Amino acid sequence: MILVDKKTKVVVQGATGKMGSAHAKRMLDYGTNVVAGVTPGKGGETIHGSIPIFDTVAEAVEKTGATCSCIFVPPYLALDAGYEALDAGIELLVLITEGIPPLDTAKLVAAVKAKGAKLIGPNCPGIITPGQSLIGILPGQIFKSGPVGMVSKSGTLTYEIALALTESGHGQSTCVGVGGDPVKGLDYQEVLMMFEKDPATEVMVMIGEIGGSAEEEAAAFIKKNIKKPVIGYIAGQTAPPGKRMGHAGAIISGGKGTAASKLEAFKANGVLVAMTPNEVAKQVAVALKQPAKA
Amino acid sequence: MNLYEYEAKRIFAEAGINVPPSARITKPEELTKVHLGFPLVLKCQVLSGGRGKAGGIKFPKNLTEAKEIAKTLLDMTIGGSKTQCLLVEPAMDIARELYLGITLDRDRGCPIFIASAEGGIEIESSENVLTEPIPMPYHPYVGRNLAKKLGLKGSDLTQVADIANKLYKLFESKDLDLAEINPLIITKGGDVVALDGKVIVNDDSIGRQPYFKGWQEAHLQDLSVRERRAKMADLNLVELEGNIGILCNGAGLTMATMDMVKAFGGDPGNFLDAGGGSDQKKTLAALELVNENPRVDVILLNILGGITACDEVAGALVDFMKKYPERQMIVRLRGNNQDKAEKMLASSGLKLYPDIEEAVKEAVARSKNSSKKPVGAKV
Repeated sequence: MILVDKKTKVVVQGATGKMGSAHAKRMLDYGTNVVAGVTPGKGGETIHGSIPIFDTVAEAVEKTGATCSCIFVPPYLALDAGYEALDAGIELLVLITEGIPPLDTAKLVAAVKAKGAKLIGPNCPGIITPGQSLIGILPGQIFKSGPVGMVSKSGTLTYEIALALTESGHGQSTCVGVGGDPVKGLDYQEVLMMFEKDPATEVMVMIGEIGGSAEEEAAAFIKKNIKKPVIGYIAGQTAPPGKRMGHAGAIISGGKGTAASKLEAFKANGVLVAMTPNEVAKQVAVALKQPAKA
Repeated sequence: MNLYEYEAKRIFAEAGINVPPSARITKPEELTKVHLGFPLVLKCQVLSGGRGKAGGIKFPKNLTEAKEIAKTLLDMTIGGSKTQCLLVEPAMDIARELYLGITLDRDRGCPIFIASAEGGIEIESSENVLTEPIPMPYHPYVGRNLAKKLGLKGSDLTQVADIANKLYKLFESKDLDLAEINPLIITKGGDVVALDGKVIVNDDSIGRQPYFKGWQEAHLQDLSVRERRAKMADLNLVELEGNIGILCNGAGLTMATMDMVKAFGGDPGNFLDAGGGSDQKKTLAALELVNENPRVDVILLNILGGITACDEVAGALVDFMKKYPERQMIVRLRGNNQDKAEKMLASSGLKLYPDIEEAVKEAVARSKNSSKKPVGAKV
């Protein structure tokens, strides 16, 4: 497992909002160590029977020792919430919010780097180490513990592939949804390297989509640095050029960012290619049977 | 949101960047009231690119010629975008053309200057292009460094540096995806002027930009009526040529579902990503949008509920099927609150497919056998 386990103490920013509250409950039910919520002006209240609410992240950290923050605030408040978490000493920010202005994200990413902290997202489903900790909005019931490390730009597609893996008997070590925005925190390379070093991970699954060149760069990185088998899947093989396909980052522009280019980079760099979600599970089964590379 | 050239130039001028004097006309006769001298430049105002190549820019030498040309230009449609009006400017004495743009570099995770000592070019296909990461917070020396790297000297250097700084201020304060001056000219008299401009406002940021309040609907002209409606309802719709309407939650899953439809021999009629956390009302609006596409014979609904609750989707489905009981519908619904959703749909007669591939295969099979008479579609 990487980044989070059952001991990870989580504070939820925006905990009394509709989404924040519902998902704080889901996280708690899953077994996540949710120790605090933050909503300015609601300090002193308690939600879901056991989660104390604080006015500021600093106070929540001081009183509970939280090291991870799951952020559910509206898009234009996200940068401020991120700065608040960083300055309070939070080490891992999981930013779920979609629709954050990209320049705000760029500022937050720069601040996260300067502090030596880590950011997952924005516009992401969060992270899960099955059986231990779920931080974000993932549906916990479709994941189970096992040897597959997953990293993905997409939320629901991650669920689709996790479901295919779980139903074919292959559990997951940790699944990280890095998010579908053009500017983001943790990228493929950083997560893949953590999986490479993680003894619980035997095989990695990398889920990409059209737009940008992150998959091509990750493929080159894998060839150089990753010894464990990696299975790659790309969504948007049939996407028309010039159209933004849902995610802010998912667009083929000027002939760049096509699925074909990414799949080619995978093949050229030893990444095993799956063409459908169910095929990912089949490829994982094959990879798990092969002896590890020296 | 793409802006028209005249809007981009207005914003440039407000930021203190020199632009040529100009007038706007929607009828050829209005040229009589324009006193900018001759030769004039007449430019079609469209939201698409490739205007110069398409003949959308002309240089008439006198009023008679100008009126004739204006008539032709006002009727032009370029790259699917109808000419909204003509921008009229005096022809400039150009000594030199440059290129200057700012955009967000997704790989570096920061804004960048894109600049070239050759202007008026297609920047994607040019070799002499400088890209300079922009530090945050910004400092004006960045503009001077850029002008220096372009090989400029004296007053050219300070003027271009000043424009670069103003352009960045604009880029950040107005939340732009792109601010581009192409060409940025140096006149024979030594003035630096933005001769053409392209501005794209970041869609996610419009809500905090009072300047652009109410602009959005007028700038969606290159979209179909349904795509425009989807955008206003905060749904992501891209219409395609096939007859299987696809509705999912999440961009990746929608694309993957589309890819599978194609891989199993079907033809997607649209991409509709209802986004995360859509409730019953929004899901119903999404279903209606797919349903109204006259090309669609079968609707394939694939939902994996994380932030989206399956029972909200089920509620929308119950309402939808009451309204359109004959609609061919393939439903795959899993994730949060799945049990609740299954109970709600038990009496609807809808079969729920647990596996995505099964659902896609069934949708493709039905799309081949359909009567070609869409149910409930507005033609």
